[in-house]
Amino acid sequence: MKIVTSVLKSLVLVTALFSFSLTAAFAQSAEEGEKLYNANCTSCHAINEKVVGPALKNVHTKRKEAWLIKWIKNSQALIKSGDAEAAAVYKENNESVMTSFENLSDNEIKSVIAYIKKASEAPAQAAVVPTGTSTDVSVTATTTSEVSNTLKTSINWLIIIILVLLVMVIVLVLDILVKVGEIQGKKVINWNGINAKLMLAFGAIGIVASAWEIWEHGKLTVFNQTPASTHGAEYDNMFMITLIITGIVFFITQGLLFWYAYKYKHSSKRRALFYPDNHKIELIWTVIPAIVLTILVVRGLKTWTDMTGEKDPSSRVIEVYGFQFAWNARYAGEDNLLGKHDFRQIGVINALGVDTNDAKAQDDIITNELHLAVGEPVMLKFRAKDVIHSAYLPHFRVQMNVVPGLPTQFGFTPSLTTAEMRQQLNDPKFDYAILCNKICGSAHYRMKMKVVVHTKEEFKKWLAQQPRLVNKSTPAAQATAQVETSTETKAAN
Amino acid sequence: MSTHTAHTDGAHHDAHDHGHHHETFISKYVFSMDHKMIAKQFLITGIIMGVIGMSMSLIFRLQLAYPDMKFPFLESIIGQWGKDGKLDPNFYLALITIHGTIMVFYVLTAGLSGTFSNLLIPLQVGARDMASPFMNMLSYWFFFLSSVVLLSSLFVDGGPASAGWTVYPPLSALPKAIPGSGTGMTLWLVAIILFIASSLLGGINYITTVLNMRTKGMKMTRLPLTIWAFLITAVLGLLSFPVLLGAGLLLIFDRSFGTSFYLNEIVAELAGGIERVGGSPVLYQHLFWFLGHPEVYIILLPALGITSEVIATNSRKPIFGYRAMIGSILAIAFLSFIVWGHHMFVTGMNPFLGSVFMLGTLIIAVPSAVKTFNYMATLWKGNLQLTPAMMFAIGLVSFFISGGLTGIYLGNAALDINLHDTYFVVAHFHLVMGSAAIFGMMSGIYHWYPKMFGRMLNNTLGYLHFWLTLISAYCVFFPMHFMGLAGVPRRYYANTAYDQFDVFVDMNQFVTIAAIVGGAAQILFLVNFFGSIYRGKRAPQNPWHSNTLEWTAPVEHLHGNWPGDIPYVYRWPYDYSKPGAELDYIPQNVPDPDQNDPLDEPKAVHFDLKNTTLPLVETKEA
Repeated sequence: MKIVTSVLKSLVLVTALFSFSLTAAFAQSAEEGEKLYNANCTSCHAINEKVVGPALKNVHTKRKEAWLIKWIKNSQALIKSGDAEAAAVYKENNESVMTSFENLSDNEIKSVIAYIKKASEAPAQAAVVPTGTSTDVSVTATTTSEVSNTLKTSINWLIIIILVLLVMVIVLVLDILVKVGEIQGKKVINWNGINAKLMLAFGAIGIVASAWEIWEHGKLTVFNQTPASTHGAEYDNMFMITLIITGIVFFITQGLLFWYAYKYKHSSKRRALFYPDNHKIELIWTVIPAIVLTILVVRGLKTWTDMTGEKDPSSRVIEVYGFQFAWNARYAGEDNLLGKHDFRQIGVINALGVDTNDAKAQDDIITNELHLAVGEPVMLKFRAKDVIHSAYLPHFRVQMNVVPGLPTQFGFTPSLTTAEMRQQLNDPKFDYAILCNKICGSAHYRMKMKVVVHTKEEFKKWLAQQPRLVNKSTPAAQATAQVETSTETKAAN
Repeated sequence: MSTHTAHTDGAHHDAHDHGHHHETFISKYVFSMDHKMIAKQFLITGIIMGVIGMSMSLIFRLQLAYPDMKFPFLESIIGQWGKDGKLDPNFYLALITIHGTIMVFYVLTAGLSGTFSNLLIPLQVGARDMASPFMNMLSYWFFFLSSVVLLSSLFVDGGPASAGWTVYPPLSALPKAIPGSGTGMTLWLVAIILFIASSLLGGINYITTVLNMRTKGMKMTRLPLTIWAFLITAVLGLLSFPVLLGAGLLLIFDRSFGTSFYLNEIVAELAGGIERVGGSPVLYQHLFWFLGHPEVYIILLPALGITSEVIATNSRKPIFGYRAMIGSILAIAFLSFIVWGHHMFVTGMNPFLGSVFMLGTLIIAVPSAVKTFNYMATLWKGNLQLTPAMMFAIGLVSFFISGGLTGIYLGNAALDINLHDTYFVVAHFHLVMGSAAIFGMMSGIYHWYPKMFGRMLNNTLGYLHFWLTLISAYCVFFPMHFMGLAGVPRRYYANTAYDQFDVFVDMNQFVTIAAIVGGAAQILFLVNFFGSIYRGKRAPQNPWHSNTLEWTAPVEHLHGNWPGDIPYVYRWPYDYSKPGAELDYIPQNVPDPDQNDPLDEPKAVHFDLKNTTLPLVETKEA
């Protein structure tokens, strides 16, 4: 029965294709395919390199389209049906199970294939180039980093080999000197003096180097940027206080440690001071750290309760749903109430397991980017399908684990739009992202979702364009749809 | 491994006859019940595991520095996991998992505590052997078996466990989620259960021996700080490892028998055909970290104990604040049981609970600070013999400061939100627990090698080993803080999916090169260690002029440690440079002229700094 429908469908499609101008249709489907590809495939695939799954370059020439559709929809079913080719592919890729995409229609899969065809034909870099302005920002495709400079690397290796040889020579020379000294009955090398000087040098160079690094590499951290959320300012304040206190302790104690190692080096002319304890000193250096830590604890507790405490009840509710290896966002719609969900309903069509019979779910919106409005408080509610993930938004100073079967949440207010952050960083391509920050499997390192912060007006516009879960129309078409639904309901009654 | 020690000890075999039965090769070197031999077995197994664990880290460091490069030699080492010279992402996760497991449990728990508790407890308290030599032998063989099971998991279908060394379910419970959670994970659990058995058998023995078998005069307040550290470590292990055993058993149930202790709302398709409802993944984390946090101190306390002993001996000064040192060990041990939640600030735990755990965690900084200041006060106006052991001990203090201070960030629940699971954490624990404990272990090896093998290590190699290791360890771990502060998550196979991390390409390469240099430096150590067993200079009885009892035993190992009676103890172990004494050390078994009963205290010395007629240090040197 299924086969008949799919044959019918493809027949319809073929006729449809013929009725349009072929090239135009191709270009359009490739463009749509690119969006689908970026949303569904990039966590495990790239065009030119093997990731979790194989490189997809020229896959359209290697396999038949019908086979690809079956494979993409449910690879395990295809393998079980006894398809030798499928079994071979499965084995080649370390038997990692590909996610089933039965929610994609044949047409959509074809458009993905069309995109892959286009990308395969393009020169290698094409896959990196950001394309397609879907809403108001450019979509960055999978990022394959540039080809490494092999020359530089081989020089590194050469340096290592030379270093190793150098060490061996030093060892031999020193050892010979020590043996000569033993034969002559006097010390040729005063190791104690040398090591004491080296201790001093290490201490001095180490302190300068770490100060330099804090200065230089500190610029690369998120603490060198204005935080993108309102609570971020308080967070950064706490961070700076801790940095200053620990920094002072670090430089003083390390300095003294290596200074003592140098200054009190062995001499046969003197004896060490017999000084087993002094209760007064000990009391002082117990109480002072205790006071400093009390300050840090009190301040830290305040920051912590401010960040995790009661949140504005009018916050916009958004569900962030994590699964191997991507994210979805579900907006609560006009009622600001998320519809019920049931993990048993998670499946091919209903990827998030949302209970579509629930009235609150009717106006929910599911997207694969997280869009927020600047200055508008949000409450992110987290849910996971399979294993623990962690939603990490470093620019917002936000992180919360996403645990299967255990609802978690984090409320905050974005304070910088994507455009403002780009300006601040002087990087027109910058995008916020949710990173997965809890080990979750092979493509953990690619599990991300783009986060866009709009102005309030832009956000409203964007949200209005998104289709509702049950009634797939956008609010623009909603008015007419509303009437239709109500008449239908009446008729049903 | 025991063949290495065969010749050395064979040489002195007939130097004594203590009336014990004839020993065969097997009873002497394999199923030995002598604590000194068991210590060597622990150490050499630990070193082998350490080499394996470190090599793994070099493989994944190569991947992190050069994510786009192909290393054809990988395929010849790891076969299908390195097809075409590219490391498989699943195997990358397996490598970090097994690296962590090996380093935490096999090297720094068994290799460090197992070696030095076994070697030093009977020798330093004045006992002929452990309370139960048979259990002691079992402890080693359970450990050995555990190592074999863990390593064998490298060769099974699907690869070894890959869910990180903390093996959080559901990832570790669902083979469908990651191939390593199949047979590999089962073997990991079996290995850990064997390891826990080993650790408990050892721990009971250590505690019993310290409490019951001290020689006459060895009051608890005359114990060297090493013994105090080993005692408290054993207590920590005894109280916390059983909880890990429980956690592991429940995980085995979930994996193999279809239960749902740690699983909730997992569809049947993912979980072996049985729908899993009603458990909690966070329960596992609570149980795991109830061991996991004390485990940090199980690793660190022996290293700190060794450092106390080495620093005092080589400063030729009593350890400063002996009682405060014991007090801070006890305080750290107690607090370590009530702070496990700081590993879970972002799991969705109730924020109030987070506040409690934060309070406890930051309080630990106080006893830790006391220990650090006491070490520095011991160095102050000392007469420092910069032996390799002493330098490693100073290195430990340096790492303890660096890594301890970053703990103040991570223990703060608020700051942890943005730092949790980033490279900042990697940097923090590799400094404070990794490098510091390894340096403690190295310090112990250089200091007690003469006691273990009757020979001296080569100092030149020792100095080079120290300097290369110190510099490369800082070069590897210090820059990682900044990656963490920029939001780079740990356990990422590559950072290529995020443009914002491109600025760290150079830093990653620098770190990898430093790691390779550090790894190469360990070859110097291995050459020195194994070479000196045969070719080292013969050791004098007390090469460091130390006070503790192990140096009163003959260089040749005896079954029973002392040829005649066990020495009595007349004083604490830190009478270095005592005014009025002829030498700058007075071993514990030497009485004062008028001291008849070992339980009497020897003459006290006033050490008032201002009104003193005692010979002080000359601050200016010629």
